[in-house]
Amino acid sequence: MMSTNGTRSYSLRIWRQNDNSSPGALVEYRVSDINPQMSFLEMLDHLNDTLERKHEVPIAFESDCREGICGTCGLMIDGRPHGPAAGLTTCGLRMRQFADGATITIEPFRANAFPVLRDLVVDRQAFDRIIQAGGYISVNCGQAPEANSMLIGKDVAEAAMDSAACIGCGACVASCPNASASLFVGAKIRQLALLPQGQAERSRRALRMVEAMDREGFGDCSNHGECEAACPKGISIESIAVMRREYMRTLLARG
Amino acid sequence: MDFDIVDDRLNSGAPEGPIETRWDRHRFDLKLVSPANKRKYTVLVVGTGLAGASAAATLAELGYNVENFCIQDTPRRAHSVAAQGGINAAKNYLNDGDSVWRLFYDTVKGGDFRARESNVYRLAQLSTQIIDQCVAQGVPFAREYGGTLANRSFGGAQVSRTFYARGQTGQQLLLGAYSSLMRQVDEGRVRLHARREMLDLVLVDGHAKGLITRNLVTGQLERWAGDAVLLCTGGYSTAYYLSTNAVNSNATAAWRCHKRGAFFANPCFMQIHPTCIPLQGRAQSKLTLMSESLRNDGRIWVPKNKGDARAANEIPEGDRDYFLERIYPAFGNLVPRDVASRAAKHICDEGFGVGSTGLAVYLDFEEAIARLGRDTVEQRYSNLFEMYREITGENPYAVPMRIYPAPHYTMGGLWVDYNLQATIPGLHVLGEANFSDHGSNRLGASALMQGLCDGYFVIPYTLGNYLAGQKPGSTRSDDPAFNEAETSVKNGVEKLLSIQGNRTVRDFHWELGRILWDQVGMSRDPDGMRRAIGEIRSLRDQFWQDVSIPGSGDSLNRSLEYAGRVADYLELGELIAIDALHRDESAGCHLRLDHQSPEGEPVRNDQDFSYVAAWEYTGDLSRPRLNRERLAFENVHLAVRNYK
Amino acid sequence: MNASSFRPWSSIGKKLFNGLTGIFLMLFIIAHLAGNLTLLVGADAFNGYAEWLHRLGAIVPVMEVGLLALVLAHVVSAVAVYSDRRAARTIRYAVVASKGGASKQTVFSRSMILTGAVLLVFLVLHIWQFRFGPSIAEGYSTVLHGEPVRDLYRLVVETFQNPLWLVFYLAVTVLLGFHLRHGFWSAFQSLGVLTPRTRALAYSAGGVFAIVMVIGFLTLPLWLFFAAEPQSARGIVMVVP
Repeated sequence: MMSTNGTRSYSLRIWRQNDNSSPGALVEYRVSDINPQMSFLEMLDHLNDTLERKHEVPIAFESDCREGICGTCGLMIDGRPHGPAAGLTTCGLRMRQFADGATITIEPFRANAFPVLRDLVVDRQAFDRIIQAGGYISVNCGQAPEANSMLIGKDVAEAAMDSAACIGCGACVASCPNASASLFVGAKIRQLALLPQGQAERSRRALRMVEAMDREGFGDCSNHGECEAACPKGISIESIAVMRREYMRTLLARG
Repeated sequence: MDFDIVDDRLNSGAPEGPIETRWDRHRFDLKLVSPANKRKYTVLVVGTGLAGASAAATLAELGYNVENFCIQDTPRRAHSVAAQGGINAAKNYLNDGDSVWRLFYDTVKGGDFRARESNVYRLAQLSTQIIDQCVAQGVPFAREYGGTLANRSFGGAQVSRTFYARGQTGQQLLLGAYSSLMRQVDEGRVRLHARREMLDLVLVDGHAKGLITRNLVTGQLERWAGDAVLLCTGGYSTAYYLSTNAVNSNATAAWRCHKRGAFFANPCFMQIHPTCIPLQGRAQSKLTLMSESLRNDGRIWVPKNKGDARAANEIPEGDRDYFLERIYPAFGNLVPRDVASRAAKHICDEGFGVGSTGLAVYLDFEEAIARLGRDTVEQRYSNLFEMYREITGENPYAVPMRIYPAPHYTMGGLWVDYNLQATIPGLHVLGEANFSDHGSNRLGASALMQGLCDGYFVIPYTLGNYLAGQKPGSTRSDDPAFNEAETSVKNGVEKLLSIQGNRTVRDFHWELGRILWDQVGMSRDPDGMRRAIGEIRSLRDQFWQDVSIPGSGDSLNRSLEYAGRVADYLELGELIAIDALHRDESAGCHLRLDHQSPEGEPVRNDQDFSYVAAWEYTGDLSRPRLNRERLAFENVHLAVRNYK
Repeated sequence: MNASSFRPWSSIGKKLFNGLTGIFLMLFIIAHLAGNLTLLVGADAFNGYAEWLHRLGAIVPVMEVGLLALVLAHVVSAVAVYSDRRAARTIRYAVVASKGGASKQTVFSRSMILTGAVLLVFLVLHIWQFRFGPSIAEGYSTVLHGEPVRDLYRLVVETFQNPLWLVFYLAVTVLLGFHLRHGFWSAFQSLGVLTPRTRALAYSAGGVFAIVMVIGFLTLPLWLFFAAEPQSARGIVMVVP
């Protein structure tokens, strides 16, 4: 199978769907001349170039920064969000991970809260609406006190940063057997609950963000922990535990 | 080359008098909109990066109605998210001699004296408040054990004034601004329109009063009427095809404003970042930047002997040329970006480059690991090392990284006055999309500072000054100007779809990038640039005859989006080359081979070129009109930049 | 927007109910196993234990109703989580795989609703078989400390000497182990009481707990099948004063 110049060939099964109201199906494609150093998305670019030259409609998929931070790219590759490697987004995945001649199945991130817009492109605005419900500290520009007037221990800042590292890609939802958004929501709640600036709105934030999450139609967390493994930033399910504590704390506080 | 020159049209509106009090006095002179009236005004904000999100949120906090647009699926993905290293502020927390004045001085000098002093001073002044604001939003900046904010030295600064959140500072600052924005969305003050691309600016009586956007999901063209427009759409490095910018970053919104009358300033000022992972092949879609904080501890070298085929680790100390330390003993590996980039290119051009392409130099942490211990190095750089390992498959703890410069940031952009207003009244341009603060070279950790400064602390004041003279809500989207703009956009889309040629959009983009990189890249000579202009024109003609865009205009069609952006780049690309050819001097990033010192340093011509070149669209892409804004250096005296 | 309040039926509330009831049910099965271990001592010990439970008086029906309520709450909250899960992804993946690493997704975690359903059916059968099964009136009586009591021991031994029942109980016990393997630590995680360190501990403890419970509950029927005295012999013992 390995060609003489060291490039590889693959069989791809890719989900094609015209828009949210049409049905979709897996369609088979072949790609060849793939250099193992190419990224997974460059492999798809290559396939799309071939399709475009034949005047065929290319596969719609999203990506932007292509360096693992914007959270735009997100494909279900052989049943795993962002592919087989841990700690990577789809754009960081290299073809050297895939044996020559392999069949690769590519599907969109699936959850009813993430409707498919076309092919592999999904709508993740549900995440925005959750943040909108309380993923912030209410401070108007100009009101801020001098930055060093509030001391925050290094370990606290680091722990907050661990949760703040979320890129909003939705791999947690995609990987979750229940399509739960708990890791995403928990990460923001934990970040702000750890910081002194976040204290004033702590209760309201937990209640409102959880309520928004439920309203968007995500599933409930059954503690499979798959999200932590799928998260390209390795955010721990500790965030989910904190979210639950924050939520229940509110219950106790209100009697 | 043939163009008209105009010298009396541009007025920066920057106040006179002592520079320290200019902003304060100016703020007092600005007109205000009364609190009760603010809600009657609608501001159209295009872009949701640091500048756009901070501006939209802050204006909404003040009480304005804001319509906010982005091409991404959510504001949080704007390319500001990818900035790694940090944000500067003149807090002087380390007591190491920093001050507003020093940040101002460093920025003007670092920009090689092609920035406007008043703007830069204001930026330095406001920098401290940005940090306060971000901390209050919950941005988890790095901290010392005692709980105070941590600082590091960055990108050629001799003081430690850079604040950071691991290697994800841009992401954390953006998420801070995004959180404020989403709070205003919840309050109903901001209406968010994601997956919308601005395709035209609508002028009513010569003022920017509306937009035409394309809904990227349905293909529908939409009209938005408002009282002012804020353009916060970033830079145009992706004109070079391969750059460190996101693949969707584009200049379309800015370029369409240019064609409606906004002047484009200094388009040839494009920064090359020294520490990127080198190119590996034709299929490569982007270049990945690694924070230049790596240069704090890493040492850059090439073999002393040309064509030394030994593995890096087998080359003994005596056979290594630490060329930055050799040429610039005072700053060593920490010289500014343009200097480091050029030195790397120079040494590779001489044949000392490493790796399969010969277009790379080593960045070595062996000494740092010995000096600091692996743990410390890991703590500081683990995410960057991981990134390098993922992309190249090599372990940078064991073998030196290979790096090469890549297009990274554009100092040029739409011309704005001191109020950030473009040459079209009502159109304000913020962040990387404007030209204002970095001259011909931007210092590291200054882009985040400028984007947030414009959005949080400048536009909230200066926009009021414009709006106070406008009757609120006076523009309606059934104005004939909207018909005209919508029809022109519609025709443009249909024209693209009708070509049905044989070459992909990417193919044209790649070709344009190659021309620009080869002839208007890190070093530029007049013949090459003349050639580039001709090649771009002919490529543009081919594009309009032979591009292939499958699919339709009434659905999500990424080829169509991409084609529109590349079409604009084929026009902007020519202007970049024209500007570079006209600027008959070297300055900062703009190194002309015909204007360099014997050591290869840029040689400015302050007598003739101490101005901002603001290009006006005349209807003929090849004959733009040059408007010059003279730059006065009253506080930082013109000097030869010397990092030796 | 209106101020939000705690909603017991939120995604978190559901899991809170499920986890809490799960913990009580685990406490119950520990007690149940401990009590049943008297089977190993002999008929009198076991019947004596059963009789002691009965003599607790008014508290017995209260506990029975309480247990029933616990089971119902556990089932209802689990079904609610399951139905949310079904609704949250109506188009399924063609291919699904675990990423491994930190994932705690296992055949155990994925089969909770199935093992739970089997356990529920089993529970009905088990209660019907023993709680409402043949008693003194049907001849299952013995004398303990001079008083006639129900000979539950005989019923149990008879049941488990039937290979079909034996196999059924063994199978259900293994499925109980499946349920506990994920359920144990998951209950605590659902309550939000775990920290990174205790989470690892709870996860391991869940494995140990599941194995101990399975071994405990497997031992009893196997012991009764292979080692207990045949019922006919005991019948003779019974009539001797």
